[in-house]
Amino acid sequence: MVKKINSEEFKNEAMKGCAVVDFSAVWCGPCKMLAPVLEEVSEEMGEVNFYNVDVDENQNLAAEYGIMNIPAILVLKDGVKQDILVGFKPKETLESEIKALL
Amino acid sequence: MRYDVIVIGSGPAGLSAAITLKIRNKSVLVVGNAEVSEKVEKAHEINNYLGIPAVKGSDLAKQFLDHAKSLGVEIVNHQIHTVYAMGEFFSLQTTANETLEASAVVLATGVNFGKPYPGENEFLGRGVSYCATCDAPLYKGKKIVMIGSSKKEEAEADFMSEICSEVIYIPTYQDEVDVNENVQVVREEPVEIKGGLKAMSLATKEQEIEADGFFILRESVSPGQLVPGLAMDGNHIQVNRKMETNIRGCFACGDIVGAPYQYIKAAGEGNIAAISVVEYLNSLKK
Repeated sequence: MVKKINSEEFKNEAMKGCAVVDFSAVWCGPCKMLAPVLEEVSEEMGEVNFYNVDVDENQNLAAEYGIMNIPAILVLKDGVKQDILVGFKPKETLESEIKALL
Repeated sequence: MRYDVIVIGSGPAGLSAAITLKIRNKSVLVVGNAEVSEKVEKAHEINNYLGIPAVKGSDLAKQFLDHAKSLGVEIVNHQIHTVYAMGEFFSLQTTANETLEASAVVLATGVNFGKPYPGENEFLGRGVSYCATCDAPLYKGKKIVMIGSSKKEEAEADFMSEICSEVIYIPTYQDEVDVNENVQVVREEPVEIKGGLKAMSLATKEQEIEADGFFILRESVSPGQLVPGLAMDGNHIQVNRKMETNIRGCFACGDIVGAPYQYIKAAGEGNIAAISVVEYLNSLKK
């Protein structure tokens, strides 16, 4: 499951363990396409926490991580940024790229 | 409706795939243009197409088209912006913001796309964008540079000028530019995108323009851009002998998968791709 969170929840929840944070916006076409794909990936990676952050509602958080284009997927391990994956990706690619970072 | 297959490209590879798919009773849509392919159309004389010697390109193109039409192949004149591999199906976004769906996709686009500028790939997603309507709100109140390859991109510049504090529009075509007053038109040749962690400036032959975002809008996009996640082999799409790409359900044929750029080779590959598609569609039903 991909859980929708705000900046505050991000600081409380996403900074521990393995976290995958999808930065998106309601007006972003590729974000809409990515959402169901990421949902499927999250089902197959139970040990990892998946989150979604709306960049319009959480501009400071997006700026903090240098999000310039969306969709952008931030991969964190115990609060440390591993990488940011930018743009839509097919399920297999997304899954293997996330796995390689964790 | 969801098509069995959408074929992108109406040259010899695309039409050859489409006729075989039709014969195999699949629902097919060809997204291309009414003139078949500019390359075929303009060929002076073709001497190595089996069974049709010394044929003018425009005549061969007409024969291709008549053949496809006689089988009821539907050809539409859209431009596809992005092909999303959703898993069980593909969602194709047109530049007019419409969505088409298909279970399988055949890429037969030819090799008519621009070379990226130095720095373009490197900064893609870090200040470089190909889609104004997608990324515009990220640049609200900021300064952007837009490179437009054809007159129709001017509407995008106007759109951005309503959101950004400053829009510099660089046309790479000769026609007169007609944009909003607050769009600054610069007629200089783009050379390179420069930056550090993110893109910072566009170097032209004359100067260096600093901005927050760089939008590059081209007539046709390279396949890696068209289909996010597609594996490339240099400028060509990576395929195996069955014309399968690295993405399940996505096939490619013709010039876009590599030289020699010959019509009969393209048509032959279109045929292989079609048969592989049929196999794939059958496997989905099981």
